[in-house]
Amino acid sequence: MLAASPRQLFWRRFRKETTALIGLVVIIAFFLVAVFAPVLSPYDPLGQHIPSSLAAPGGEHWFGADKLGRDIFSRIAYGARISLLSGVAVITLAGLFGSFVGMFAGYAGGWMDESLMRVTDIFFAFPSLILAMAIAGALGPSLQNALIAVAVVTWPVYARLVRGQVLVLREREFVQAARSVGATNSLIIRRHLFPNTLSPLLVQASFDMGGVILAVAGLSFIGFGAQPPMPEWGVMISEGRNYITTHWWLTFFPAISMLFAVAGFNLVGDGLRDVLDPRLRK
Amino acid sequence: MKTFRCLTAPATRWLGLFVLLSLLLSACAAPAAAPTSGDQPAAPTAGEQAGAPAVGGEVSREDTLVFAADQTDIITLDPAVAYEFGGILPAGNMYETLVSFNPGDPGVLVPVLATSWDVADDGDMWKLTFNLDPNAKFASGNPVTAEDVAFSWGRAIDINKSPAFLLIDVCQIAKENVTAVDAATLELKLPKTVSPQVCLAVLTFTTAAVVEKAALEPNMGSDMGESWLNDHSAGSGPYVLNKWDRSVNVTLDVNPTYWGGTVPAMKRVIIQNTPELANLQAAIETGDADIAQDLGSEQAAALEGNPDLTLVRGLSTLLVYVGMNATKAPLDNPDVREAIRYAINYDDIITLLGGNAELVQEIIPIGFLGHTGNNPFTQDIAKAKELLAKAGVAEGTEINFIVPTATAPGGVEWSTVAAKIQSDVAQIGLTLNIQQLQQSELLNIYRAQGGELVMINWGPDFPDPDGNVTPFANYDAKSLAFRNDWNDPKAIEMSKQAAIELDPAKRTELYAELVDYVMHNGPYIMLYQPTRIFGVRNNVEGFMYDPNDTPTTSFWLISKK
Amino acid sequence: MARFILRRLAGLVFVLLGVSLLTFFLAQIVPVDPAATALGSNAREEQIVAYRQQLGLDQPPPVQYLNYVQRLLRGDLGQSIRTRRPVIDDLIDYLPATIELSLAAMLVAVLIGVPLGMLASLRRNSWLDAGARLFALVGGSMPIFYIGLLALGIFYRQLRWLPGPGRLDATMQPPTQITGLFTVDALLTGNWPVLGNALSHLLLPALVLGYFSAAVLLRMTRSSMLEMMGQDYVRTARAKGLGEQIIVGRHVFKNALPPILTTVGITFGSLLSGAVLTETIFSWPGLGRYATTSVTTLDYPAVMGVTLVAAFIYPLVNTVVDIGYSVIDPRIRVN
Repeated sequence: MLAASPRQLFWRRFRKETTALIGLVVIIAFFLVAVFAPVLSPYDPLGQHIPSSLAAPGGEHWFGADKLGRDIFSRIAYGARISLLSGVAVITLAGLFGSFVGMFAGYAGGWMDESLMRVTDIFFAFPSLILAMAIAGALGPSLQNALIAVAVVTWPVYARLVRGQVLVLREREFVQAARSVGATNSLIIRRHLFPNTLSPLLVQASFDMGGVILAVAGLSFIGFGAQPPMPEWGVMISEGRNYITTHWWLTFFPAISMLFAVAGFNLVGDGLRDVLDPRLRK
Repeated sequence: MKTFRCLTAPATRWLGLFVLLSLLLSACAAPAAAPTSGDQPAAPTAGEQAGAPAVGGEVSREDTLVFAADQTDIITLDPAVAYEFGGILPAGNMYETLVSFNPGDPGVLVPVLATSWDVADDGDMWKLTFNLDPNAKFASGNPVTAEDVAFSWGRAIDINKSPAFLLIDVCQIAKENVTAVDAATLELKLPKTVSPQVCLAVLTFTTAAVVEKAALEPNMGSDMGESWLNDHSAGSGPYVLNKWDRSVNVTLDVNPTYWGGTVPAMKRVIIQNTPELANLQAAIETGDADIAQDLGSEQAAALEGNPDLTLVRGLSTLLVYVGMNATKAPLDNPDVREAIRYAINYDDIITLLGGNAELVQEIIPIGFLGHTGNNPFTQDIAKAKELLAKAGVAEGTEINFIVPTATAPGGVEWSTVAAKIQSDVAQIGLTLNIQQLQQSELLNIYRAQGGELVMINWGPDFPDPDGNVTPFANYDAKSLAFRNDWNDPKAIEMSKQAAIELDPAKRTELYAELVDYVMHNGPYIMLYQPTRIFGVRNNVEGFMYDPNDTPTTSFWLISKK
Repeated sequence: MARFILRRLAGLVFVLLGVSLLTFFLAQIVPVDPAATALGSNAREEQIVAYRQQLGLDQPPPVQYLNYVQRLLRGDLGQSIRTRRPVIDDLIDYLPATIELSLAAMLVAVLIGVPLGMLASLRRNSWLDAGARLFALVGGSMPIFYIGLLALGIFYRQLRWLPGPGRLDATMQPPTQITGLFTVDALLTGNWPVLGNALSHLLLPALVLGYFSAAVLLRMTRSSMLEMMGQDYVRTARAKGLGEQIIVGRHVFKNALPPILTTVGITFGSLLSGAVLTETIFSWPGLGRYATTSVTTLDYPAVMGVTLVAAFIYPLVNTVVDIGYSVIDPRIRVN
């Protein structure tokens, strides 16, 4: 009998996490909706039809229509693209930059490490949304600038995380061994350090996906993110806020979509952490 | 857990920390000293002390009027500086002008602080003489003198904030041409390039309101008393300032010794800042508010038939429009501007507004002299495309479109109207990139000629067609024509001519010609003239919305049953 | 002990310097001329030039920064472009409302999160546990601005159980100012009607804002308790036949407390972030709304002031938590 590969082992453990599996299914569903939005949507998400203004949910419009008669279901589907892409973009940006800084700080050590970590302290001092708002405001309101702003407040988390991992790994036998046989720094980083920081990064990233989706929607809600007529969920809630008592569906469906998407990522994050973090494994 | 490893700390940093710590501590402790309690009088001043009425104290709910409105735009309560609806409403109820328009009786000037006035031809100038009412007195008990008037106008000119152009440019008032002949007589000289009628209309605006010199002079500070007037009032109007709780409300108390007839019924008026439309609706439904200003069309529809309140609709004098920068490609081509005008479905916009607007495609609103009632544009995609092709504009050309945040006059979101226009214009192959900006920020860009397409509204500062025509047509007035970089000699000349024409029939004719010229050559897409919707609880009597008057709502006319 | 505190405070100063540099940098990239904005549309060119000189805006950025820090040390945060008042005066007006709301929300979070988390851990895998976890999941995943809109819609507009937005009814006069926290001031001056009104206004925004933090605390409490229950000494205690209540109270909870406390400190930052959205929806005249309005109007002196103060409060709270901790548990100091 061959020993199971780490991947198989991981999957075997992950399968036992029922809630995480539910989360995974939800996320996959959202990704499918995002990818196949053009096929799934019965209407053009930007297509206006004044006679259908504020139509209630039903056969014609599954999730109803907004003030301009735009189909809310179609907008939600396209909105899934925006939210998921936002999450992926921010985390790639912040994750890569943060990991690079953390890796560098941890590996270089000394005053370099010290000063880089003080820089992250500075970013941690700000309540994230206030800083993101100030940055987005300074750059001018647009989805792209909102993503930059959220990335700027997110990267220090990854820098800290990776640095912590590197500090531990640096002293481990296999790194010491590699160094003793004369491996170059870059080789050690690429071969040994980076792959071993991946699992905590993955856990962090899946939690942050939810956080980023909420943050971008929050920025859009107060006007610093996506601009109309973009079917971004935060914008949809903002546009529907005046109708919340009279036409609940304008805000309810984007909010519930966001709830499911974010909860999905959080559940997967929980599951991943339980499986990958040996300290918490029972 | 976060750890800080900074080990050394030079003495200077300690000093810094100490200061910052005390900063925070003082931030928590300092307010104790500020007089914010409603039980205290609004800090009587040298001038006010004598017969100063007791302001503040408890006022019963029956004697209190709660007026809910979006007051986000409020910056100041100083009448010389206020140029926002949010500030003009309270300022207009605390301060008085020499003349005014009678609420509900448009176009007729009536005496306020001046009992009579006279316009005379004084050679190369007009000479206006105002006789002040000898009974007029400030809330402090001191009489209103010509000296106070000259001081107030001079102050507004010196302070030179947003509304000062009304006195400086529209009326061309120079400080040396305002003379207090004696306590009850004021003389004002105007150049012949100004119509005295237009200037009299300007003088009804809060910028020309009279503040008490004796009360303000000791408190001028470094900003000519502007910040002092944000926490105190020094007027002769029916109400005095109790307090302005920034971003929450403005509380006005009755001036118990008001000189101008009967003392108002409402002992206290609270203008409650209520920016969310849904909350505005709830406030009037629950009775938390007695009057709700500017309900949205959806809120109005929901409140229709509510037995506790009445919806009062009044056509405003505002015009909602899109400005097109006349020097930025492709908008520099008049055919492109005309094409965009033909691309828009105006009726759909009125439908979106739930009918709470009139279709107006000219620069003079309904109710003003010179309004023609011509609405030549209806959506005609073929014609629009033809015009675009003639101009040689490529399919897919992108144009930036900046629009304000929040709700547009008429009661739907600005972004909704913008998205509607965007989708209409897309049909002729132009791509509009919408960017939403807070109104003040949008105005900054617009004033610096930085916009391409800009959607916003315009309201005349005084009820005369010149209040619209000069801004819209005269580039040199540095107003709307300037903002859209439309420097058209013909329009400028015509607007100047019409402004000083004294014969109404002739004037109407001139305006008709100009309106038509601007309609097709100008840089504007005129969209609609909105209706403002007020929710009024049934126990409130005497409420009137008069778009031509300053203030638009006169609290002293209101009572409760 | 003193050394540890000094070291933490020195770190705080360093962070604040960095924060000031960052806020200064932000103000530099704003595409707006503060002088032109402050003077309004009638200003003449020479007025603008003079004003720029007066503000020191004609100096090179490094000099401007040094001037800025100097002014900061004097407690001068500059003049707001929008409100035309010293920023520090604005902050003094708006800070108490945010402190009151954040403290109330924190109270909500602790009162809901900790007991529910404990219950969930004690009845692991029961329906109660599942319910608590679902409650936490929703709290951590729902956009706070929708919860706020919904809560107002239901409890104010539909049911009319609770008052509307704002800190007090419009007709209610604020209590005599002592701390600026209406509930505290009303209590101190014995002003019962205002106390009741202020509390009823505070309830909904505090619940909405506290929900997210309650979710975080619930999860932390639950996992921390579970971890402690698996420890050897708990098994020993059980073997010795100690009652379950004593075990949980004396051993498990006491040891599970430190990470919970840390979480409380950290959550404070997310409370300030959440306050931005909550205050917007509830017309709450606090720092969050001041920040939003200042950013939208590109009033960067005000933005610099508000971010600086926010970035001051949060590390301060955490430093206080850390120091408080090291008093309880000297091992931390070794670090």
